[in-house]
Amino acid sequence: SIQVRQKVVQVDPKEEDDFDRELRALMQESIESRRSDLRARPALNMTIPMNVSEGIRDHPRAVEGESGEETVDEEGVSGALNNKVRVKVLVKRGNKQQTKQMFIPRDSSLVQSTKQQEAAELEE
Amino acid sequence: EETGEDENYEFGKGDFTEHACRYCGAQNPACVVRCNVPSCRKWFCNSRGNTSGSHIVNHLVRAKHKEVCLHKDSPLGETILECYNCGCRNVFLLGFISAKTESVVVLLCREPCLSVNALKDMNWDLSQWCPLIDDRCFLSWLVKVPSEQEQLRARQVTAQQINKVEELWKTNPDASLEDLEKPGVDDEPQPVAFKYEDAYQYQNVFAPLIKLEADYDKMMKESQSKDNVTIRWDVGLNKKRVAYFVFPKEDNELRLVPGDELRLRYSGDAAHPTWQSVGHVIKLTAQEEVALELRASQGVPIDLNHGFSVDFVWKSTSFDRMQGAMKTFAVDETSVSGYIYHHLLGHEVELQVVRNTLPRRFGAPGLPELNASQVFAVKSVLQKPISLIQGPPGTGKTVTSAAIVYHMAKQGQGQVLVCAPSNVAVDQLAEKISSTGLKVVRLCAKSREAVSSPVEHLTLHYQVRHLDASEKSELHKLQLLKDEQGELSSSDEKKFKALKRATEREILQSADVICCTCVGAGDPRLSNFRFRQVLIDESTQATEPECLIPLVLGVKQVILVGDHCQLGPVIMCKKAARAGLAQSLFERLVLLGHKPFRLQVQYRMHPSLSEFPSNSFYEGTLQNGVTINERQSTGIDFPWPVPNRPMFFYVQMGQEEISASGTSYLNRTEAANVEKIVTTFLRSGVVPSQIGVITPYEGQRAYIVNYMSRNGSLRQQLYKEIEVASVDSFQGREKDYIILSCVRSNEHQGIGFLNDPRRLNVALTRARYGIVILGNPKVLSKQPLWNGLLTHYKERECLVEGPLNNLKQSMVQFQKPKKIYS
Ligand SMILES: [Zn+2]
Ligand SMILES: [Zn+2]
Ligand SMILES: [Zn+2]
Repeated sequence: SIQVRQKVVQVDPKEEDDFDRELRALMQESIESRRSDLRARPALNMTIPMNVSEGIRDHPRAVEGESGEETVDEEGVSGALNNKVRVKVLVKRGNKQQTKQMFIPRDSSLVQSTKQQEAAELEE
Repeated sequence: EETGEDENYEFGKGDFTEHACRYCGAQNPACVVRCNVPSCRKWFCNSRGNTSGSHIVNHLVRAKHKEVCLHKDSPLGETILECYNCGCRNVFLLGFISAKTESVVVLLCREPCLSVNALKDMNWDLSQWCPLIDDRCFLSWLVKVPSEQEQLRARQVTAQQINKVEELWKTNPDASLEDLEKPGVDDEPQPVAFKYEDAYQYQNVFAPLIKLEADYDKMMKESQSKDNVTIRWDVGLNKKRVAYFVFPKEDNELRLVPGDELRLRYSGDAAHPTWQSVGHVIKLTAQEEVALELRASQGVPIDLNHGFSVDFVWKSTSFDRMQGAMKTFAVDETSVSGYIYHHLLGHEVELQVVRNTLPRRFGAPGLPELNASQVFAVKSVLQKPISLIQGPPGTGKTVTSAAIVYHMAKQGQGQVLVCAPSNVAVDQLAEKISSTGLKVVRLCAKSREAVSSPVEHLTLHYQVRHLDASEKSELHKLQLLKDEQGELSSSDEKKFKALKRATEREILQSADVICCTCVGAGDPRLSNFRFRQVLIDESTQATEPECLIPLVLGVKQVILVGDHCQLGPVIMCKKAARAGLAQSLFERLVLLGHKPFRLQVQYRMHPSLSEFPSNSFYEGTLQNGVTINERQSTGIDFPWPVPNRPMFFYVQMGQEEISASGTSYLNRTEAANVEKIVTTFLRSGVVPSQIGVITPYEGQRAYIVNYMSRNGSLRQQLYKEIEVASVDSFQGREKDYIILSCVRSNEHQGIGFLNDPRRLNVALTRARYGIVILGNPKVLSKQPLWNGLLTHYKERECLVEGPLNNLKQSMVQFQKPKKIYS
């Protein structure tokens, strides 16, 4: 095998500033267009389907049938369980709700509430 | 240094699988997403490679595409990312939230779903909305980042290549990176040179650059239309209607200035007809409101406040005048003297001496005594046809310029023309020159006549009104009539205009010195004037063609004043800037070997504050004209870590974030500490007008203003009186105490605006008595100059952290500075 020297990443500051400006312009335009579009005030449709919440309560580590992920993480399931948390991602296919399983890092801010919930479960 | 396997090292062959990243070829299904724009559908990976954002984010930003789809073999399967609630697919607005009590997460858009109040009552935790794109990369647990191995084997694509290929895709969606090598793709304009054969070649180079900048300026300004603007109505002293409203601005983008033209529109309703009027910006209030004086006096729907639209009215005047000046320079032999012609074009010319009798003393009445380097500068320039004077911060540039102009005016060579690119600088100069007793006329653009000026009494329009105010004067009578009625009959208007023109001419002709902006020198009212002697201040902030406008009126002796170590002209069009339009004439002449006279004694900064700028930007030549004692803040009890050294770098570790407008950055921790520092200053007896807060980012500027007025523990009014401004807008000015908030604090994106050494120089040289810098040394130290500054502060025990009332030396480790290759 050959030694490959890793390149020092050099970002041209001009390109950098320029990219920065375009990203910010895109963000602004996105936010503004949504704000001014009054039709984009949707009715709420955010209830968690019963089967999802029940599924979790009954089998906290259950494997969802339609999910493609359990062992995709190269660290393996045990590794994944150590520094990652299993969550269900709720998506809509047309009007149908579906859940997909994923592992997200334990230190993600998203996990904070989930962690608290787990702690509560352990105490039970 | 890393090692990697190199088995099938075959990048750049173009035979990637369908879902391979179109930039780098990475093809792990867990690492790529497809752009979901129907005309695009290209795949990109989530690695940063050699750029600050991941490839997919680079593509979305450059192509302005906003939707993506995951790969069928990825953890979520083939899924278009969208808001669970409303279906919004704009990935820049999406983020995850989780349920309060379940391990369930959904994607939710930031606008409007995240702000829908009813959601708060449901089972969702809205406090931890986690953006899908974070630090310019998709969340790596959703779309994996290719491993180091994978990245090493991928094509090493640069930001420039990405830019170019994205440009190419607009016309040829199937193009590959290899196509970039083909000629014709890259039509960069011809770059500027040091020397030019003749003025035609000069024009051939600069005319396309000015055209590029003009086109960009036009496009940008005309795209700045705003709807749903709310108006507050008022009437000005001249009885004209004034509309007040908020017109958001961005960093480095559109900056409204007094004199700009805007169009105000109302599209009409049952009770009101469609209406529109053009007006001039007369001022920008501290609350960021624009005051627009309308041209129309009749039919203004002043009973309405909402639903107006505002457009920018772009005018080509300044660009036309630059093009005109270049043409004159080429075709009119008398436009500049032969010596100056050749010198400007970089030709070798035998040194010429201007045979002027030198005055016995070089100071001028009404001005402070000159120091040795100032006297030397005045003396030398008076006998040279072309001179450069470099004035580092606080070295008395304006006084020196005024003294030079005084002596030139006394030489009897005719009227002297004095210019600068900015109105502020022209006003300052006009005032100083006027104090020597010379007759000064300040010529303002017609569109700025309603803008208040600190030298009102010197302006041409003021003098026209007050020259002959006797009862009998026809002009005066017509003026009064016009003021009363708002307009005149067409025959009276004709008469009024003719009388006014004659009076203007009379006043201009009787002046010793005429002051205007560089662009103002192209005013038709000066077209029949000739000026042999021209002084241009702040010339390092003007583009070459801009500088040429005052020169082609017959110049034989020119003095360019400026400082090429401070910020140069602002060029909005990248292409034009890359080609060298941002380089001033002053700078080019220096590069050609023309040595500027440098003013060497600074009278602004406490000697501790001038040390670093002197060493880093002026080869250590800056001497102090003020002593430590003269800059001692007596009676001010402020916790400077080292007595007699009124400076410290206050270590901040808070994160930067994109501001609410989405167009800039802010840093909450720094803002909170700025407020604490300001409060401490105020408590210790410093008054608001002595303090300036500067920051390179508009987002932070606005946030600090807001934060201080809400959270400051003293009277709100005190905080309102404190000037918070951008580094750039502080150039040429000073305050007793400066607080600099650096804002940038991130792993990958670098330090943006702070990279420019000239901006750092400006930021560090505004304070007279003391400076506090807030920033993240870990991030800033990567840049060599900042690393030097941090080391300077550390060595002087002025690098501190902790609460303001208990500052401790910081032990934070600096990063190794990266070398800059240019
Ligand atoms: Zn696309
Ligand atoms: Zn890639
Ligand atoms: Zn939504």
